[in-house]
Amino acid sequence: MITTGELKEKLIAGLGLEDMGIDEIDDDMALFGDDGLGLDSVDAIELTLIIEKEFGVKIKDMSESENIFSSPNTLVAYINEQQELDKK
Amino acid sequence: MKIYDMDNKRYMDIKEVKNPKTKVEQLSHVLHCFENDIFEIVYDKSQPALVKYIESLDQNILYQDGMQFLYFTSGTTGLPTGVFKTKKNSIKQAEALLKTLGDRKFNRVVTTVPFVHIYGVDIGAVVPKFLDIDVWTKENFLPEELAIEAEKEGTLIVTTPVFIKALNRIKKDTDLSGSFFLTSTAPVPKEDGKEFHERYKTSVSQLFASTETGLMAHKTDDEQILNTYEGVNISEKYSMLRVSSPFLAQKILKDGVVEDVKPPFQTEDIVEILDDKQFKLLGRSSNLAKIAGKRISTQQIEGIIEAMDGIDCALIKIRRDDRALKDEILDIYVESKEGLDAKNLRKILKEHFGSMNIAFKIFNNMKIVRSSVGKKIGFKEL
Repeated sequence: MITTGELKEKLIAGLGLEDMGIDEIDDDMALFGDDGLGLDSVDAIELTLIIEKEFGVKIKDMSESENIFSSPNTLVAYINEQQELDKK
Repeated sequence: MKIYDMDNKRYMDIKEVKNPKTKVEQLSHVLHCFENDIFEIVYDKSQPALVKYIESLDQNILYQDGMQFLYFTSGTTGLPTGVFKTKKNSIKQAEALLKTLGDRKFNRVVTTVPFVHIYGVDIGAVVPKFLDIDVWTKENFLPEELAIEAEKEGTLIVTTPVFIKALNRIKKDTDLSGSFFLTSTAPVPKEDGKEFHERYKTSVSQLFASTETGLMAHKTDDEQILNTYEGVNISEKYSMLRVSSPFLAQKILKDGVVEDVKPPFQTEDIVEILDDKQFKLLGRSSNLAKIAGKRISTQQIEGIIEAMDGIDCALIKIRRDDRALKDEILDIYVESKEGLDAKNLRKILKEHFGSMNIAFKIFNNMKIVRSSVGKKIGFKEL
C-alpha cells in the first residue's frame, strides 16, 4: 500500500515541481485545472509514465484516467487497488 | 476525406464552427475555411494574454487580401508576431513533405496536435486533405493509446517529440513498421530517435520549421544533419540561417504594423551549412524557451515577474533535461527584498499563459549583473 506522501514525493521529483513541498499539496487538491496544482496535458502523460515506472500500474485509457487523476487521494486509491488486483 | 472523432467514436462533418472548443471542432472549422477559401485567424484561445493582445489590435489590419490563415507566434521581444499564410503556401508545402516520404502508402492520419498552430493545421489537417484520407483525432492521448493506433497498417502519425519520448518510456513491445511518424516543434534527442527506431521498427521524420518560414528541412530518427525540402534555398548571415521558399509567409504583423516579407527570411537559428541542401542546427540565438513544444519568450516572463510587487529584477536561463517530456526548465534568478514566491508566480503565469504549466526553479537573493548599456548579462549571490 502506498501513501499520498509517497505519491507526492514522486510527483514533485518527476514533474519538475522543484519549488513545492509535500505539505503544499493537499490530499484532495485538484491535480489539473486552475484551482489546484495546475498540471497540464503534458504533465498528464508524464504522470502516467511515473505511475507505471514507480508503482507498476499501467493507465491505458485517457477517459478512464480523468477520474483517477482528480486528486492525490483518488490516484493513490487507484494505484493501491490495481496493485491488489495484480497480486491475485 | 472525413474526420473521425475518437472520443465520441463517430465521424464529424467538415463545417463552420463559430467558437470551436474541442480539437475535433477546431479541425472541422479550419478544413471548412481551407476548402472554401475563407480567411481565418488561428490562435490558441486558452492563452489569456494572447487573446487580450489580439483584441487590442486594430481589427482592420488583421484581414489582408489573398491570405488564408493568420497565425500568432511568440516574438523575441515578448509581443506576439502575426504571420499571414496563403493557401498556396500550404499546398506547396504538403507536396514537398510527401515527396520526402517516398513510396509509403497511407490510409489515414492520426494526429495528437491541436489545430490552433501552423503545424496542426498544415500537417495535421491539410496533408490528409491533400491525400484525401481520413484524419483521426481526440482531445488527449496517452502513449499507450497512440501505440495501439500506430499498430494499424498505413497510419501516418502527426505528433510531437513528447510522444516519441513517452513511447520510449512505456513498457511495450510492438511492431509499428506499418506506420510512420512525423514530429515538429522541437528536436527529438539523438538517443531517443535511435531507441524509437530500434524498438518499434519504424521511423520518425523530424520537421524543422517555423510559423514564418513553414517547412525548412527534415531528418530521420537519430540523424544529425538536416536535409532541405524541395524548393527551399538556404544561406547564412552571422551563422544564422536564412531561408527562401514557396512556403514562406507573405506578410508579418509586428508591433501593430503589417510588413511584407522579403526573402530570404532571417531566422534565429544558429547553423553550420554543409552544402546547398544540408545543414546542422547548432542552437538558437533568441531568448525563446520551448516548453513542451510551445515557444515562450523568456523576456516576456522576466517582464511579468518584474511587474510583481517587491521585485526589482529577474533574469531567466533555460536549462535542458532531455529525458523529461518538458525538456526545457526555466531557472529564474531574482533580485528583490522579499523574494519571489513559487505559488504566486505559478498563479500569475496561469493568468498569462492559460492551462500551460511551466516548469521552473526560483533562485532568490541574487544580484542581477548588467552591462554598461543596461543589458542583463548574469547574476551573483548576495
